Amino acid sequence: MPEIPRRDASMVLLTSLGEDSLDAGYARAAARRRHGAPPARHGRVILAAGLVAIGLLLTTAAAEARDRAPATAQARSELVNEIEDRTETNDRLETTLATERLAVSDARRTGLRITAQGSRLARVLATLESTTGAGGVTGPGMSVTLTQVTPDDSGTDDDPRTTEATEGRVSDRDLQTVVNEVWAAGAEAVSVNEQRLTALSAIRSAGEAILVDFRPLSPPYEVQAVGPPSMRSAFVGGFGGSYLQVLRDYGIEFTVEDRGELVLPASAGLRLRYATTPNDVPSGATPDPRDRTSPQ
Amino acid sequence: MIAAIGLVLGIVAGLFLEPTVPTWLQPYLPIAVVAALDAVFGGLRALLDGIFDDRVFVVSFVANVLVAAVIVYLGDQLGVGSQLSTGVVVVLGIRIFANAAAIRRHLFSA
Repeated sequence: MPEIPRRDASMVLLTSLGEDSLDAGYARAAARRRHGAPPARHGRVILAAGLVAIGLLLTTAAAEARDRAPATAQARSELVNEIEDRTETNDRLETTLATERLAVSDARRTGLRITAQGSRLARVLATLESTTGAGGVTGPGMSVTLTQVTPDDSGTDDDPRTTEATEGRVSDRDLQTVVNEVWAAGAEAVSVNEQRLTALSAIRSAGEAILVDFRPLSPPYEVQAVGPPSMRSAFVGGFGGSYLQVLRDYGIEFTVEDRGELVLPASAGLRLRYATTPNDVPSGATPDPRDRTSPQ
Repeated sequence: MIAAIGLVLGIVAGLFLEPTVPTWLQPYLPIAVVAALDAVFGGLRALLDGIFDDRVFVVSFVANVLVAAVIVYLGDQLGVGSQLSTGVVVVLGIRIFANAAAIRRHLFSA
């Protein structure tokens, strides 16, 4: 009759790990000594050398660990500093760019005003700039502010799909929806946190930050829109309003208010890389009602 | 006695010489430390069991460190370095715990 295998035979690797924790060499050496074998030669010296090596290894490892921790922290803070420096430089350059652009457009306007056709072109240009976002606009409108509230007790939500990270945080999708609904409500110019939106603007996210034209925004998010007086009721009564109501369930507060006089800046990122004006069409020949009435 | 002197000498040498570990050796240092700790606890237990042997202790220490380093090196070459280091740490950790438990039984008879 064959021997009944041990119940834990399939776990022999694990059991041997726990049982044979002591090096078998010790038992064998002890057995050798019992049988009268001489003790190892230079045993003490070998032991001392081994312990010197162990001490050296432990202190070296400790010193390594101690040296490495501040090094990573230092590298991190250096990177943070560099990012802040460069962001500052960027901001300064952008301010310079804006003032220079203003000067250029001023100079162009005065230059064009010399002739009658020129002043008409200047008007067309101003309209185009305002429409496309290349120039700043001012006018009545409304503002929609989204404030994210950090949840004080995230343990109450037992839905595994809504993780703690997304709860109460405005996502790029939310901002996209709000902006689209603001356009749909009749807005003529829209900006998000002082970033003017153009036909080429993108609202997306990188990590936890929302980017508009690749510039990270910090909450609260304020969508400003210039448009007709009916815009606010159209927005609140339409899909935008109900979307914001849903957002409120996720801990995002919002306010929608009328603004008498809004000043929206020009877009900083409006440039064409591939599209060019056709050569046979003069740039002034854009469909504009004032242009069409001119007999020239 | 000579063992204690050796250990203290090693620690003092490490503190004062501050040997710089070459970069290619750095990944193996933590594993080597765990392997060395395993040898140390094994030696302590053997000492308390009354079967300590100098040669076995030193040979097991050197072999432990080398084998652990070789396993991690092999894992790095095969692309499973972190998994193999985890495995080495788990195995040696279990042995350290078992030996520490034996030492505890010796010292406190509990």
